[in-house]
Amino acid sequence: MSGPALRIRGLRKAFPKVLAVDGVDLEVARGEVFGLLGPNGAGKTTTLEIIEGLTTADMGDIELLGLTWKDHGQEIRSRIGVQLQSTSLFNKITPREALDLYGSYYPKRRSTAELLALVQLEEKADAYHITLSGGQQQRLALALALVNDPELVFLDEPTTGLDPQARRSLWDVVQQIKAEGRTVMLTTHYMDEAEALCDRLAIMDHGKVIATGTPASLIADLAIPSVVELTFGGPAPDPAAFAARLGQSVERRADLWEIPTPDPKALLPRLLESAEVEVVPFQQVHIRRATLEDVFLHRTGRSLRE
Amino acid sequence: MMLWRQFLMEWRLYSRDRAAMFWTLAFPVVLLLGFGVMFRDSGGPKLSVVRVQSATATPRDAALDQALADVQLKVQVLTKTEAETRWSQGETAAQIEPDGEGYRLRLNSYLMAQAGATAGLVNQAWLVAQARLNGSPEPRRIPTQVESPGHKRATNYASFLLPGLLGLNLVSMGLFSVGMVNVSYREKGKFRRLAVTPLPKWIFLLGQVTHRLTLTVLQAGILLLVGRLVFGIQNQGSFLDLFLVMTLGTGCFMAFGFALSSFADTSEGYAAISNLVFLPLMLVSGVYFTLDSAPGWFQHAVAILPLAPFIRALRAVFNDGAGLVGHGMGLVIVAAWGLAAFILAVRRFRWA
Repeated sequence: MSGPALRIRGLRKAFPKVLAVDGVDLEVARGEVFGLLGPNGAGKTTTLEIIEGLTTADMGDIELLGLTWKDHGQEIRSRIGVQLQSTSLFNKITPREALDLYGSYYPKRRSTAELLALVQLEEKADAYHITLSGGQQQRLALALALVNDPELVFLDEPTTGLDPQARRSLWDVVQQIKAEGRTVMLTTHYMDEAEALCDRLAIMDHGKVIATGTPASLIADLAIPSVVELTFGGPAPDPAAFAARLGQSVERRADLWEIPTPDPKALLPRLLESAEVEVVPFQQVHIRRATLEDVFLHRTGRSLRE
Repeated sequence: MMLWRQFLMEWRLYSRDRAAMFWTLAFPVVLLLGFGVMFRDSGGPKLSVVRVQSATATPRDAALDQALADVQLKVQVLTKTEAETRWSQGETAAQIEPDGEGYRLRLNSYLMAQAGATAGLVNQAWLVAQARLNGSPEPRRIPTQVESPGHKRATNYASFLLPGLLGLNLVSMGLFSVGMVNVSYREKGKFRRLAVTPLPKWIFLLGQVTHRLTLTVLQAGILLLVGRLVFGIQNQGSFLDLFLVMTLGTGCFMAFGFALSSFADTSEGYAAISNLVFLPLMLVSGVYFTLDSAPGWFQHAVAILPLAPFIRALRAVFNDGAGLVGHGMGLVIVAAWGLAAFILAVRRFRWA
């Protein structure tokens, strides 16, 4: 039980029209929650599917739990748990039946009752899959990924399309999985999710890993711990004149200006003064600490949500 | 054990889909009952002829009507206008019109099979009627009897229909149900979820195949039972032979479905592809019309398609009580297609 849970070297995958994965190296330690963060189309899902054995890479080496797909396919499948981006089940199967059925495919399995309790689906255990809400279906998909008591769990965008409350309850389950000592690798395009769940992150864009580290270290590396935001009632005006007077770069977003700064306390008086001179019709001032969103913006010049 | 579990689950989930279940099991029965009752008394649809009334009824007309009835033709006497309307609607196959001292026969070019047979009978009836009018000895007709290739007299239409329904069912089960289900599983990602488990592919596929096989057996059983209870139709051959032919056919057309499903990415695409195969197969397999006038090479090409030999073997066993010996070549053709399709299916099968 030594060595990393996952080691990837020089992974490449090209589709007819796009180079989806372009030389990815990753290492995930046992027991950690590792996140792949990036916008849609960054190559997160393709990377994950190659690791899960669903897609074959054009190049690169993968070792899961010290095993390779070529020599130990069946053993890997029985020791990993997978939640796909969308898990499609039969419309008229119940959670209890689905867990029993998928459990029967594995040599080692957790009890259905225990899994139902873990994802809080006891009350819906005998309802048809089609009648479950989006959050319940997603929790069932998560339970299915745990049916074989896996050492390594892959979750592909586990909370996409869920309402805030359903996301929270899913996060709880992921934290529980980590507490049980499993290794988790997940993809997400929500930075708050990455910050809340992940011990370490790889930020992906255009098929490449552009930064790796803990959420805190990634933000600290920015050397701009804080961001001052000026919000406007409507679309934000051109900040050029204001930026010149302030002597500081100003990013214009849809309805606000962002001014990254290492020292908000020193900036604020100058900022208010400049705003008054230039007659900037802002409504409110916020000071917030930098987030992973700013890390992505800084590294790529684009927003995660674009 | 795994296979058994998979098989049971297939059945359990299938049985929850009431609509699919109803149509699969009940529809053939409805067809059999409907057509069987409609044509209950005859050995199939009866031939009929329209006769246009003369200006004034003559003894000649009466003699002709009598003679037509004697040769088993159904006569419908209509006025000139009525007959013309019916003709222009395309419903009349053959029409007798008064013409000077005799008659003229008009045949519908779209219904030549019926019209041709009717014309022969009308001519015979006319000779008989003339002889009767002249008081000369009646011409003797060559006795005719309707019989199946296995020397069974035709009993009723339903017994002819039943094996056709059995066969058609299983072709559509393979081509449409199996293929469509596979494409939609792949399309919706059900296969992908299975692909990340250690479940071997062949267990999943075999689970599906055994489920469909038992479904076919059940379907056939219901049809046979209804046929027997309602129409008194008996399987003339051995049930073992019937079972063998049905199993071979199910396997062949299910393999077709599996193989075809690997060529389509979406359900819509599959609907188009399966029809592309099914329609020509139906049309050229001699189910709807004979291919006597087609070029020789075409007839040879058609002879090696699987549908015609399969239906022929099925009818031979069921209606004629024949053994399978005479149908060896046909069954080999069906088996060869099944095997080829199966190999293609396994080679091209993909989870995602």
